[in-house]
Amino acid sequence: MATKSGKQKNLTKEEELLLQDFSRNVSTKSSALFYGNALIVSAIPIWLFWRIHQMDLYQSGIIFVIGTIISTYLVSFAYKNVKFVLKHKVAQKREEAVSREMMKKLADDKKMNKKEKDERILWKKNEVADYEATTFAIFYNNALYLVLLIIASFYILKNFNPNINYILSVGTACGLLALFSTSTK
Amino acid sequence: MATTGLSIIVITLFAPLFVAGDSCVGPSVQSKYYVTREAAASVDTVFIVEFQLTCKNGLKNMNLYADVNGKLLPVTKTDDSKNKYQVSYSDENKNLPAGHYDVRFYDEEGYAILRKAQRSGETNDSIKPLFTIPINHPGVWKGPIVQSEFIAVVVAILVWYVAHSAKSHLQSDK
Repeated sequence: MATKSGKQKNLTKEEELLLQDFSRNVSTKSSALFYGNALIVSAIPIWLFWRIHQMDLYQSGIIFVIGTIISTYLVSFAYKNVKFVLKHKVAQKREEAVSREMMKKLADDKKMNKKEKDERILWKKNEVADYEATTFAIFYNNALYLVLLIIASFYILKNFNPNINYILSVGTACGLLALFSTSTK
Repeated sequence: MATTGLSIIVITLFAPLFVAGDSCVGPSVQSKYYVTREAAASVDTVFIVEFQLTCKNGLKNMNLYADVNGKLLPVTKTDDSKNKYQVSYSDENKNLPAGHYDVRFYDEEGYAILRKAQRSGETNDSIKPLFTIPINHPGVWKGPIVQSEFIAVVVAILVWYVAHSAKSHLQSDK
């Protein structure tokens, strides 16, 4: 990327904005949203293993903390991947509606030229797609994480010692979630 | 000769009254019973019947037999002075379904008749028991039909399915 941009001289500001919009990097705001949500969802198993599998909160504290941290990381990784995949699709789907709405809104504005209007539309489209992809990625991954966790802890590993059950079921749930998120279909 | 004939008549007439002194006249019972209510912690259903028997002729310390669900059992004396008795019966849960059971009690005489009837292959129904204690068995509770984790899994899968179909709808090219 660096060599390419070196050859072509500097990218225009508009191109940079466009690249940023469709890159894998997420803004600080959605990054905070991802890590916050991942932390909440990763902390749910603590309640499950504390109240239902009768694990001691203090004795198993270290396992809980480590499990939650690893799980938070992998769940937010999955959020980012799913969001990246979805964002393009959402942008395509919502393109028409967003541009129609924006055109209606900007129709009265005589001062704005065509280019500026297109830019506004692009920006709005990006915002809508980003928001929808972010929230949907959180919802989808949370649902999948909880399904994997419940099945692993109550059915597959139900006869194991609760400590091992916690480690394996949280590990399986977040590991599989991260794995599934890398698929583009 | 005439006195001998008279005394024979007197004995024949009144002897049964003295013999009847061996059996309980006008029995009244105060009973309580226990039946198994749940199968989570037990394999068999148990009936325990406890009763205090009072006879009008003051008879105590009797040998009693109970007919529970067609099976004859000896009744245990738990307190001789108060004329208290107890009998228990157990069988697999499936053999003792919910319903109304009559526990029929017999004294030794009735028991002998009953055994005789059983040997000759007759039914017990015609033989009148000394008294009967009804038992109402509401059935055993085998735990919830569906486990709560199963419901949790079903709900989670449903939510995931909705999410997945929404995702594939978003990702489709149409």
